[in-house]
Amino acid sequence: MNYSMVMRLIWKDWYFQRMAILLSLAGGALSLGIVAFGGQAGFTIGLVFLVTIMAMISAMMVMGNVIGERENQTLAFAMSLPISYLEYTASKILSNLLIFVPFWLALTAGCLGLIVYAPGIHGLFSFTVIMAVEILVSTCMMIAVAIVSESKGWTIAAIMVGNLALNVVGYFVAHIPSIGGGLWKKAIYWNPAATIALAIEFSLILAMLGVAFFLQSRKRDFI
Amino acid sequence: MNELCVQFEGVSKKYPHFSLENIDLELPTGSIMGFIGANGAGKSTTIRILLGLIHQDVGAVNVLGHAMPADQAAAKLDIGFVSEDMRLYGPATLAWHMDFLRPIYPRWDQAYAESLLDRFDLKPQQKIKGLSHGQRVKAALLLALARRPRLLVLDEPTTGLDPVARMEVLQELMAVLADEERTILFSSHNTLDVEQISDRITFIDRGRIIDSYDKEVFLDRWRRLRLVLPPDGVVPRLNGIVEVGGSGRLPVLTTNSFEPAMVSACTQMGATVQAVDSMTLEEIFVANVHSRRERKTA
Repeated sequence: MNYSMVMRLIWKDWYFQRMAILLSLAGGALSLGIVAFGGQAGFTIGLVFLVTIMAMISAMMVMGNVIGERENQTLAFAMSLPISYLEYTASKILSNLLIFVPFWLALTAGCLGLIVYAPGIHGLFSFTVIMAVEILVSTCMMIAVAIVSESKGWTIAAIMVGNLALNVVGYFVAHIPSIGGGLWKKAIYWNPAATIALAIEFSLILAMLGVAFFLQSRKRDFI
Repeated sequence: MNELCVQFEGVSKKYPHFSLENIDLELPTGSIMGFIGANGAGKSTTIRILLGLIHQDVGAVNVLGHAMPADQAAAKLDIGFVSEDMRLYGPATLAWHMDFLRPIYPRWDQAYAESLLDRFDLKPQQKIKGLSHGQRVKAALLLALARRPRLLVLDEPTTGLDPVARMEVLQELMAVLADEERTILFSSHNTLDVEQISDRITFIDRGRIIDSYDKEVFLDRWRRLRLVLPPDGVVPRLNGIVEVGGSGRLPVLTTNSFEPAMVSACTQMGATVQAVDSMTLEEIFVANVHSRRERKTA
């Protein structure tokens, strides 16, 4: 693996997404502010904003960073550089993760911080962690589909599925008795069901990115 | 000139509606090869196989001593590539592109890049999306040339340019090519462009290489013989005639292996040779393709 070349491509993707990252961070911080200081209504509105911004940045990032490279016909330029297609794939997966994960970590940490310090909502902790990781799962699915399919249509479908999955998973997690039963408790709690949910989510992430890498390694035509 | 920069041996690639068949191609180091074919003939597929971007189904490809596609990353370190369908990053400036590429290529020549900026009349701080198509082609050429590549691959770089921009690009290209010896593969369906800069010509049609020689060999061998036949005369049957055109008593014979003896042979058969015309590369290409397609369908 030509690591310096992969890093160069990651830096390039970061450079072209920098404004979207900054605007999303500002939007995320604003949402957290609404959650923290907006009272009961602000709490709900801020959380909806927060989830929307996370979904939006992941969709924008995948469309711009992966599909845009092909649509704008810059893929030929990137592939004329001294890299193999697997190195290109590695750079795309890593750059998307490195753009999204710090942003996701910052907002998730902010959100959990509010839950820990605000009175009366400590019970939301485990549910919030599981749903935050679910957003990461959806993002990884979008990245994998975009990289493998190289298709705008399939990627839009993946974005829609990812957003729908967020609601479906949220509903089911909230209805797991050992998690949903403690949502409005006044103390932070964690139980084996939450650990299993997280393990499933991280396994899914690894599986999707692994499958994407495997399928890319079997491709014979890249442009 | 003996060492081969590019070598294709029995390369094939099948698609549902197109196949590249049994391509044998040799590009000696230091030569400039014009790669001519109609749209859809297989030029871009061949070039993408050369760059390792498409994997051949069978056959061996060697570029600058590297087996392709396995060793494409190392090979591309010494290849400059400009393609008609290749775009630079629109929101970035040309200076950004130069800064991006400089650490990647050990032989990147910044002084040369700056001299090309002057020669191509490009402004480094201008964003790519603000450039005309001609300027974008020149920018892509600059970025390819400043790498000091051992092999320059130009895939229809002049397609879509207006006549003035096309002439400017070709003039600049010829000027920079005069700077030093490079190996170049220049693909185009525009034979005039190729004729100006190439010393070797390869024709491709419907996925097959149909001819590959030095340019002068093509221009020397291909001729049109304009004849006048006597009232009940017949068209002389000669070896090497690939096409018979004209009409009635005024046939026009096209040959791909002209020798002065052909003129005396025609005269001996009762025909009067009115003229022996040289052919342009475009005429040679069209006649070559037509005659082969006719032979195939016959």
